[in-house]
Amino acid sequence: MAMPLLRKPFRFKRQSRLHRMSRFEKAVVVLLVLFSAFMLLPLVYIFNHALKPYEELFIYPPTIWARSPSLQNFVELFNITSDSVIPVTRYIFNSLTVAVLSVITVTGVSALCAYPLSKHKFPGYKLVFATIMLTLLFAPETVTIPRYLVVSNLGIMNTYWGHILPMVAVPVGVFLMKQFIDQIPNELLESARLDGAREFTVFLRIVVPVILPAVATIGIISFQTAWGNVETSNLFMQDEQMKTFPFFISSLTSNMANNVARQGAAAAAALFMFIPNLIIFLVFQSKVIATMAHSGIK
Amino acid sequence: MGRIVLKHVEKRYGKDKQYAVKDFNLEIEDGEFLVMVGGSGCGKSTTLRMIAGLEDITSGELYIGDKLVNHLPPKDRDIAMVFQNYALYPNMNIYENIAFGLRLRKEPKHEIDLSVKSTSRTLEIEQFLDRKPRQLSGGQRQRVALGRAIVRKPSVFLMDEPLSNLDAKLRVQMRTEIIRLHKQLGVTTVYVTHDQVEAMTMGNRIVVMKDGVIQQVDSPRLIYSNPRNMFVASFIGTPPINFIDGKVVETDGGKLQLQTQRSYLAIPDAHAELLRKHGKVNRRVVLGIRCEYAHAEPEMADRHPRSQMTGTLKVAELMGADMYLYVDIGADTPFVVRTTSGFDCREDEKITVTLDMSKALYFDKDTTASLMYE
Repeated sequence: MAMPLLRKPFRFKRQSRLHRMSRFEKAVVVLLVLFSAFMLLPLVYIFNHALKPYEELFIYPPTIWARSPSLQNFVELFNITSDSVIPVTRYIFNSLTVAVLSVITVTGVSALCAYPLSKHKFPGYKLVFATIMLTLLFAPETVTIPRYLVVSNLGIMNTYWGHILPMVAVPVGVFLMKQFIDQIPNELLESARLDGAREFTVFLRIVVPVILPAVATIGIISFQTAWGNVETSNLFMQDEQMKTFPFFISSLTSNMANNVARQGAAAAAALFMFIPNLIIFLVFQSKVIATMAHSGIK
Repeated sequence: MGRIVLKHVEKRYGKDKQYAVKDFNLEIEDGEFLVMVGGSGCGKSTTLRMIAGLEDITSGELYIGDKLVNHLPPKDRDIAMVFQNYALYPNMNIYENIAFGLRLRKEPKHEIDLSVKSTSRTLEIEQFLDRKPRQLSGGQRQRVALGRAIVRKPSVFLMDEPLSNLDAKLRVQMRTEIIRLHKQLGVTTVYVTHDQVEAMTMGNRIVVMKDGVIQQVDSPRLIYSNPRNMFVASFIGTPPINFIDGKVVETDGGKLQLQTQRSYLAIPDAHAELLRKHGKVNRRVVLGIRCEYAHAEPEMADRHPRSQMTGTLKVAELMGADMYLYVDIGADTPFVVRTTSGFDCREDEKITVTLDMSKALYFDKDTTASLMYE
């Protein structure tokens, strides 16, 4: 009985999957591969740009690939500030501190806000949730002045709080977490309460682990926002020591617009800005994709 | 002490204060296995959740042991609960699931380990301890949920339809398992189900509920043989009890008969006395008779004279050893007769049904209350 099976020609799994596709599907696959290659272009460009020596940066027509890659731009980036009071590492340290702290506070605050909204249904919870959603409607520019007044009156100008506090309220985060917590069966929480857990233990030991994909997503979003944020440095930090790395980069390029000098350093800095985002996304991408599939949010 | 006392316990919901549970009075003895049964929305789960402390009590008093626990949080009531959907913590492995309650109580590590191991041995889930709940089948998950309840050695177990999510075969198996556990541990257990077979087989006593009101509290045997009202009679037993409308009339000889649409059924003296006491002579009553006391075999006619009805056989349902005959006797619902599978009959043919009138029950037509109680 096993003989007919043996006669079947051997094929690789992938190859056989390709064989099963119709001509239209194959065309779609080819098209999608081309598109994704096209989407990759900026990334390739950033990488190569940072590695191009001066003479290549201004070549016309511009090239994608660096012909003779060198690390000269990075050396320049770290040398620029060698004669100034504040070294570039200070900006990087500020940025990392702000990014890490805001990831922790944003995810923490969003989850702590979403949990009672979803599971405790206190009087007026609908109004609270609607208000939070309403804030999505405001463009960031419209709240700049009130935000400045709040930060200034709190007296947290030129502190890390000034960087973090304006970033903490993330309505999308609350919304996403609430959607996830809604799906947790009440019995799970009740059973933990019967086991003797206090409310905070239920939250920390049961709710948070179950909604980890949402936590990861919010973590990435808040990291990217905080890492690329120039606004707080611009508005609330008069002290140069407290400004962040993206601000430093923008000063590199914008203060010297149309200037040939330091373009190499700017290219290196752009790569520097981009790499943490890439790493974080690659590490957490599976969770993020699970979240997108789960909640229909992009 | 696992004694539970409910005194005038009530639960009302919403703006219009509708009753979910109304004037619930019950004493559950230490070590008893009490089953609460009823249709969906009858308040049985709400009552259980009030005992657990997951639901507020609108009015009344609830005692566990000798302590008034109305305002005690769930964790201080010394109870454990098993849910229909198991409610295992998906992020923890089985060991941690079982140990969670003990860890929160800050018990020493080696004692936790000992308890978890011995509990998992009792429930035969030792080999799964390092797995996650999603890697287990429904039956295994339910065992873990039981383990999580047992390991804390509470004075009361509460079970909310724990077997509803299992397939029929597994349900029977777990049923005996739970009975065995109860015998072994002797812990007071309150078990909620909508399945009357579970209720009959598991409970020391059964509470039948409807619309938030207790209909009857009794042993399974009494609930089946002497229900308090028509709801209890029809809810317990498969196929459901047969009801026949009729008028109690007196014959010339001073005997009582039930005059139904098609025939006269002789009422035995013992029942006649009760009916006279209730003043039901020349009144309409409802006769209830279970299918095993109705016979289709012709030889039964001699044994129970003057208690025959004729009808048309509509459907014959073969159940293996038994066969259920659905007979049209001119009422709205068919009359069900249980017979042996060898019984020879054809559908749409006339059939004579003999009733064992000594086993009949009588109900008040207006109040639906049983007339079998004095």
